[in-house]
Amino acid sequence: MAIDEKMLEQILNKYPAKVKRNRKKHIVIRDIEKGAQEIEANTRTIPGIITNRGCAFAGCKGVVVGPLKDMVHIVHGPVGCAYYSWGTRRNKAKSENPKENFLNYCFSTDMQESDIVFGGEKKLAKMIDEVVEIFHPKAISVSATCPVGLIGDDLVAVAKAAEKRHGIQVLAFNCEGYKGVSQSAGHHIANNILMEKVIGAGNLEEAPSKYSINILGEYNIGGDSWEIERVLKDIGYHVVTVMTGDGSYEELKNAHIAELNLVQCHRSINYIAEMLEIKYGTPWLKVNFIGIENTIKSLRNMAQYFGDPELIQKTEEVIARETARIEPVMAQYKKICEGKTAFCFVGGSRGHHYQGLFAELGVETILAGYEFAHRDDYEGRDIIPEIKSDADSKNIPDLHVTPDQRRYRLKISDEKMAELKKRIPLGNYKGMISDMKDGHVIVDDLNHFETEEFIKILKPDIFASGIKDKYVVQKMGIPSKQLHSYDYSGPYAGFNGAVKFAEDISMAFTSPTWNFITPPWKNKPLLDGKIVDEEAS
Amino acid sequence: MKNKVVNLRNVSQNPCSMCMPLGGIIPFKGLEQSMVILHGSQGCSTYMRRFMAEHFNEPIDVGSSALNEKGTVYGGEENLKKGLDNILKVYNPKLIGILTTCLAETIGEDIDRISLEYLQEREMEDFPLVTVPTPAYSDSHTEGYFLAVKRIITRLAQKSEKNEKVNIIIPNISPADIREIKRILEGMEIAYTLLPDFSETMDAPFTNNFGKLPNGGTKLGDIRNMPGAKATIELGITVEDHLSPGKYLENSFGVPLYRLPLPIGLENTDKFILTLKTISGKEVPEMFRKERGRLQDCMIDSHKYNAQGIAVVFGEPELVYAVTKTCLENGIKPKVLATGSKNFKSGQLFGEESSNLKVLTETDFVHIRQVCKEMDVNLAIGNSEGKYLTEKEGIPLVRIGFPIHDRVGGQRILSVGYQGTIMFLDRITNTLLEYKLSNYRSSMYQKYFQGIDVK
Repeated sequence: MAIDEKMLEQILNKYPAKVKRNRKKHIVIRDIEKGAQEIEANTRTIPGIITNRGCAFAGCKGVVVGPLKDMVHIVHGPVGCAYYSWGTRRNKAKSENPKENFLNYCFSTDMQESDIVFGGEKKLAKMIDEVVEIFHPKAISVSATCPVGLIGDDLVAVAKAAEKRHGIQVLAFNCEGYKGVSQSAGHHIANNILMEKVIGAGNLEEAPSKYSINILGEYNIGGDSWEIERVLKDIGYHVVTVMTGDGSYEELKNAHIAELNLVQCHRSINYIAEMLEIKYGTPWLKVNFIGIENTIKSLRNMAQYFGDPELIQKTEEVIARETARIEPVMAQYKKICEGKTAFCFVGGSRGHHYQGLFAELGVETILAGYEFAHRDDYEGRDIIPEIKSDADSKNIPDLHVTPDQRRYRLKISDEKMAELKKRIPLGNYKGMISDMKDGHVIVDDLNHFETEEFIKILKPDIFASGIKDKYVVQKMGIPSKQLHSYDYSGPYAGFNGAVKFAEDISMAFTSPTWNFITPPWKNKPLLDGKIVDEEAS
Repeated sequence: MKNKVVNLRNVSQNPCSMCMPLGGIIPFKGLEQSMVILHGSQGCSTYMRRFMAEHFNEPIDVGSSALNEKGTVYGGEENLKKGLDNILKVYNPKLIGILTTCLAETIGEDIDRISLEYLQEREMEDFPLVTVPTPAYSDSHTEGYFLAVKRIITRLAQKSEKNEKVNIIIPNISPADIREIKRILEGMEIAYTLLPDFSETMDAPFTNNFGKLPNGGTKLGDIRNMPGAKATIELGITVEDHLSPGKYLENSFGVPLYRLPLPIGLENTDKFILTLKTISGKEVPEMFRKERGRLQDCMIDSHKYNAQGIAVVFGEPELVYAVTKTCLENGIKPKVLATGSKNFKSGQLFGEESSNLKVLTETDFVHIRQVCKEMDVNLAIGNSEGKYLTEKEGIPLVRIGFPIHDRVGGQRILSVGYQGTIMFLDRITNTLLEYKLSNYRSSMYQKYFQGIDVK
């Protein structure tokens, strides 16, 4: 069943008039004839509408900074924010020395009333001292929660003084929850500080291999980046650092030496990608390692960038080997999934990335959207000059970098760059909308009310989203697939990940659980019987 | 107090409590057709929804006034009012709870004034908006929970005619526990108002017609009439007087108050049943005598195994008290008690027994772990965060309380009443047995063949 403007109108009519006008701009029904379609995004959340969006703190500490394994991440504030961001994202990490992996810990200054009144700087300073004494981390991050900014604690000054005392970097992130309109603000804040203070702080001047790359915006949920790295290493790439899944502070410092930056999650990390290009001359390539075809395409594009026949050949060999191995398995799962429909509403990139993988299994994504994306994630980067900055986005300062005089090096010639840009998404992302079919719905910042209404009309077979809407959907009798934490499964990226994903959603479709929803006394009598004609018998 | 262990560190590392507004949300989830909104950054409501959904495995709708930088400068009044408008329109609830967050409290938002003004502006003065100030820096989720219950009663209760009902105030227990308490009340043929009743709302049966607001919850009309009740039973002996809903009903309306421990364990359940008998004058039905007898049988069956347990009990004060008592009456030695809350007066609660207990308040798991090592603890009883004790020290964990997020079924764990205690005790004994059996051969081998003395 498709949806048209009239039905959309009916859904929105249940809102107060002002809310209706606002929400209408965030919903687009794809109409290819219309050409480029505009969608509103990255604007303020409507109060009282149950959104899935988080805050700047969540984007900064929770998403970008938190996964760096060899740092201790201190949350400065009352206990809640630290507690709720404690191991909840399933960003996996392993260290050669287990004593240098602090991801299992949750550190909070646990501010009390007196700290709010008299300030929490001293407590924070003492806590940093204790952390250094107990854990000897290579670096420390301090993330601010709402009250910190309001009472005027000077995180930067505390961090600076602590750096002097201990001789290690202490990074201060002023990512108070009220900044910006969603976690997107926190990504930006984190990007700025990592770029300013960490990247380039390493001593390496030259890449250890011709094919040295960074993977940006990959958070190793359920082991995704391990699967991606397996394939890349097989082909012959050297991964300098992953930002930031299974990432380390030590490696991040040398991110400047890479020959190419791959961007997986565009939303959360495009700032660093751009700045790396300006400062060190390293181009970035938009990749998507979710789904077999997209993985193959990304690998081929990388090979194109380096243009080395040997690398191209090795890439093809690995692709051939991997596909030969997994295609028969995928074909089996496709039999189960074929013809089904999905909603795909996740974060800032996965809402788009997973559509390809769904399609390979014969599942059509009929509604998709992002929680906290900007217009360019929907409409493509070409739209960026047209995006007007508002008061909220202006509150997050842009970091302006200039070419590094010593380290800037053009990685490929301007002509080659221009030529490549025609063929591969070098420095470009075309966004979600252009990949969606006619009649499909794109919704920005989908909320609980709309979730239910769209489900009632479009009746998807599976709903891919997060834990907050998981139970709403399941209560409506529809299987859900968590694409934030993968329901304790994964990896879903790369070749092996595609198989795991196919297995997981096939399990959802074939689970006998759903067959028992209607009790037998509701639709048919428990005992079949008929009146037997006595004489005939 | 001598046995109170003081934490001299500034680091709160792996905390043992959550923030005040989280606790405040739960009671509102136990009212019929009710909604709740957090006044502050949207991240607070998102984090807490996420967190509660993991425990209850249910949809958790919590609104937010979604304050941003502008709100912090000019105040968040406009946002809060808009939020209320939208919740009313989309959810059409019978009551809305307004909880504050660190942000709203730090900038000094006066939610009482705003909500009063709002109701006047919208000409709906009778609509129950219940405000609860819950700054996370002042107390833990435990205090947030009781303050919310108290504010709900304060807002709704009115002088009412004397009736035959008994008020039952419960702490943060599982929906399955609430259902068991209701079964006992119904078994005793006692009319009651139980608050907050999230037994259905937070553990809803699957039906084909899913509604935005779940069915069930304490009826608002019943709460209004709580002052007319015969008595109040508050299952909360650790609750401070100023937070106690029962104390409020006693002081303001003269409803006799019985403060009892959670009915986990034989003695605690006896107290509950006996109090019900005293208040109602009704006989205890045969059914409960049988259940009590089965519990005794269970205790006797297990007593030799249980004697080997040296336990750490952690979580919210009320649960820690009831579980500790249960351990004591079964020969399990509770050596370490820990809670993230400040309010746990173990000396008063345990009397002489308290000299054998190490008590940690406002604590974190690093500290708990350290004390557990010192005390040779071999059994942990508490919520999911205790998994660290298992991972780091190999101490097996019996899961009970809130939150249970690394296993399914936190909402279905039954531990109250004679029947619940049987199930709870079996879980403990079986954990000890499993531990023993899996280590039995190697310890025998080490002791008798290698001559190594192992504990």
